[in-house]
Amino acid sequence: MITFSNVSLVYPHSTKTIIEDLSFSIVEGEMVLVMGATGSGKSSLLRLINGLVPHHTGGILAGDISVDGISTQTVKPGALAHLVGIVAQNPINGFVTDIVEEELAFGMEALNFPPDVMRKRVEEVLDLLSLNPLRHRSIATLSGGEQQRVAIGSALVMHPKILVLDEPTSALDPIAAEEVLSLLHRLVHDLSVTVVIAEHRLERVIQFVDRIIYIEGDGAAAIGSADEILRKADLVPPIIRLARALNLAEIGTSVREVRRATEDIRQLTYREQIPEIGSGEVAIKVSSLTKNYVEKIALKSLSTEIFRGEIVAIMGRNGAGKSSLLHTIVGVCLPDKGQVRVLGGDPYLLKGRQRRITIGYVPQEPSDLLYSQSVAGECEQADRDNEIAAGSTFALLNRLVPQISEKTHPNDLSEGQRLALVLSIVLAGNPEVLVLDEPTRGLDYQAKHLFAITLKEFAKKLNRPVLIATHDVELVAELADRVLFLAEGEIVADGSTLDVLLSSPAFAPQVAKVMSPKPWLTVSDVVQALAIEP
Amino acid sequence: MRSSLHPLTMWVWALLLITAVVLADKFWFALATVGVATVVVLIRSDGSPWNRTYWLSLKIGAFIIFVRTLFGILIGVPIPGTTLFTIARIDLPSWMPGIRLGGAVTLERLSSSIHDGLIIATVIALFGAATSLTSPHKLLRTLPVFIYEIGITLVIATSLFPQVGESAKRIRLAARLRGVEKISLRRIVMPLLEESLARSLQLAAAMDARGFGVSRKRSRYRPEIWSSRDSALCAISALVPMVVILG
Repeated sequence: MITFSNVSLVYPHSTKTIIEDLSFSIVEGEMVLVMGATGSGKSSLLRLINGLVPHHTGGILAGDISVDGISTQTVKPGALAHLVGIVAQNPINGFVTDIVEEELAFGMEALNFPPDVMRKRVEEVLDLLSLNPLRHRSIATLSGGEQQRVAIGSALVMHPKILVLDEPTSALDPIAAEEVLSLLHRLVHDLSVTVVIAEHRLERVIQFVDRIIYIEGDGAAAIGSADEILRKADLVPPIIRLARALNLAEIGTSVREVRRATEDIRQLTYREQIPEIGSGEVAIKVSSLTKNYVEKIALKSLSTEIFRGEIVAIMGRNGAGKSSLLHTIVGVCLPDKGQVRVLGGDPYLLKGRQRRITIGYVPQEPSDLLYSQSVAGECEQADRDNEIAAGSTFALLNRLVPQISEKTHPNDLSEGQRLALVLSIVLAGNPEVLVLDEPTRGLDYQAKHLFAITLKEFAKKLNRPVLIATHDVELVAELADRVLFLAEGEIVADGSTLDVLLSSPAFAPQVAKVMSPKPWLTVSDVVQALAIEP
Repeated sequence: MRSSLHPLTMWVWALLLITAVVLADKFWFALATVGVATVVVLIRSDGSPWNRTYWLSLKIGAFIIFVRTLFGILIGVPIPGTTLFTIARIDLPSWMPGIRLGGAVTLERLSSSIHDGLIIATVIALFGAATSLTSPHKLLRTLPVFIYEIGITLVIATSLFPQVGESAKRIRLAARLRGVEKISLRRIVMPLLEESLARSLQLAAAMDARGFGVSRKRSRYRPEIWSSRDSALCAISALVPMVVILG
C-alpha cells in the first residue's frame, strides 16, 4: 500500500537530515505507529505519505515514495485526496467550514462528487463515528474529542485506503483518547484501512499497533514489530520500563501480557509506604467559588485548600472547569461568588512585579509568553523584568536543557525546549506559587521526566505549592502528591494521587493496571517497594 | 432549526424596504421600518454568531444620527424658523462662502439633521438585518460556480478573524500574567502574526490534502432551493415601495 524506497529528506536552510535512506513498505490493513523524540521528524514522515512534504514545505527529497502504485513525486497532494486521508495535529486549524455536516462534505464537493453519493456517504460517516446528534452544530462549539472525530470523519468520507494521523490524542482526556483509538482499531479491522499514526503517549496506542517506525533523530530510522523496537528504544512506555526493571524475559505491550508475566511478583510481600498529604501551612484557599458563563456553569461552589510544598494535579474531562479554576486562582478572572486567597491576598489585585513574585503561570500555549527574536533576548528581558543579575535566566535554562544556542529563534525550538524556556522565564521571577495549564502536550518521555524533576525540586526544596492541570495520567503518577478531580465544575474526588488514580480504571496509569491490586503507580514505586537493586 | 428561506430572500426583502424608505423620505416611516426589522430579527434569529450584526448596525446607526445632528448644529446652511438657541458664531474667511460655523440653531435645522441621520441609520439597520439573518456561507453557495471559488477563499479568510481575536485575547492574558502591565503592541503583534501565519499555512495544507482545487467543477452538498414562500415574501415586500411611489 505504501512503499518508501531509499527515501532521504533535507529541509531548505537546514543542515540536519530528517530522514536518511529509509526503506519500508506497509501493507493494506496494517496499523503502524511512528515514534521518536520531539522534533525528530515524525510529522515530516507522515506528510511525506501524501506529498504535503515536500510539495507544501519545500525541501529536497531523494528516493521514491509510492502510495497504492502512484509516485508522490509526480502528483500534487490534492490528487491523492481520495486515497490518503490526513488528520493534522490540531484539527481546529484544518477546518474549512463552520458546520459539521458541511465540513464532512467539503472534500467531496471539491472533487465534484454527485450530490446523492455525497448524501449517502455523509450519513454513513455520521453513523460510523456517532456524529449524528452533532450534524448541525457549529464546529467551534464542539469539545476536543468531538472535533477530533469530525476531523477523522471528514477524512473517512472520501473512502481513503490510508488514514494518517498526527498525535490524534494529545489534547484529549484519557476517556476521549480511548474512544478515538478504539475507533481506529475498528476501522483497521472492519474496513481494512491502513492507519499510520504518530503519538508520544505510547501507553495509549502501543496495544493497538502492528508495527513501529522509530525515528532516532539523526536521520536513522528502524522499523519492526512492537516487541523488536521497544526492546532497544530509549523512548518506551511505562509498561516496558517496568518489564526492564523487573528483568522480565518477555516484554509485553498490553497490560494483559505483562500481568501474566508478573503474577509471582504480585504475590511478594512489600514495604508499604503511606503517602502524606494535606499538612503544613495553607498557601491557596478557595472558598465556595462559583463561576457561570453564558450558557454553562464552569464552577459550582467549589472549595479547597492547597498547602505549601504540595504538588496538586487538577484532572477531569475536557470542559470540566479546570482552566476556569486556574484562571480564578491566578486572578485573571473574577468569580461570580466566593473568593480565592493566595498567601492571604486577593490574586485579582496583583500587579506587575508583585504578581511575578507571587504567582508564576505557564499557559497552555507556552509560546504566548514569547515575543523576542532569540532565546537570548527572552532571557535578558526576564533578567531585566525581575531585576536579577544578567544571565541568571539563561543559566537556569541551561540547567534544564543544556545545549540550547542563545541565538535560536524561540519558534525553532522543539516543544520540550520551548516549555523549558518559558519555565525558566517564569521561575526567574522566583514565584511563591507555580501554576501550569496543560503544559506537557507534545513532550516525549525524556522531556517530561526532566520537567517533572524540575517541578519537584521547586516544590520540595523551596516548600512552595505547584498546581498543574493535565490529562496526562502517567505524569500525574510520577509528579503529583494530590489529585483534585473535577466534573462539571465540582470536585468529585480529592485525595492522594494513589487513592484517586487507583479508584478509577480509566485514569489508572499502566503500572497500576498491571500491578493491581497492589498500590503502585510508577516503575520507581514498584522498585522501591520490592527493594530491587536497580 | 427554523424553517429556512432561500439566503437571497432576506436580502431582496431588505433592499426593497431600503428603496421604500429612501423614496418615502418620511420620519415616521423610517422609524416603523426599523421597528419591523427589529421584530423580524428577533423572531428569526437562531443564535448564530452573525445574528449579532443587527445590534451592531443599530449602534452604528445611532452613532450616525448623533454625528449628523452634531454637525447639523455646528456647521451648515442656515434654515430660517423658530430659534431654539444660539451658539457663538465663528467667522470664516470670505473665500468659504455658504458655510458657517455656529450661529442660531432653529427647530427646522435641528429636525432636518435628525431626519437625514435617521434615514441613513435605517438603511444601515436594514443591511444589518439582512446580514444577520443569512449565513454568509449559505449566501456564497448561491453564487455561480466561477465566483464560488473566489468566494470560498473569502469565507475562509474571514473565518480566521474571530480566531485571531481569540488568540490576541489569550496572548494579552499571558502577558498580564507574566506581570507586564503596559503591554506594548509588539508584545501582542509578534506572537499573533507568527501564530496566524502558521495557522494559515496549516489550513492551506489541509485544504490541499483534501483535494481543494483539483477538479475544475465543483458539486454542492445541499443546493439552496427557491421555494414559493420565498416568492411570496419577495412579492409582499415589493408592494411596499410600490405603495410609496403611487401614494
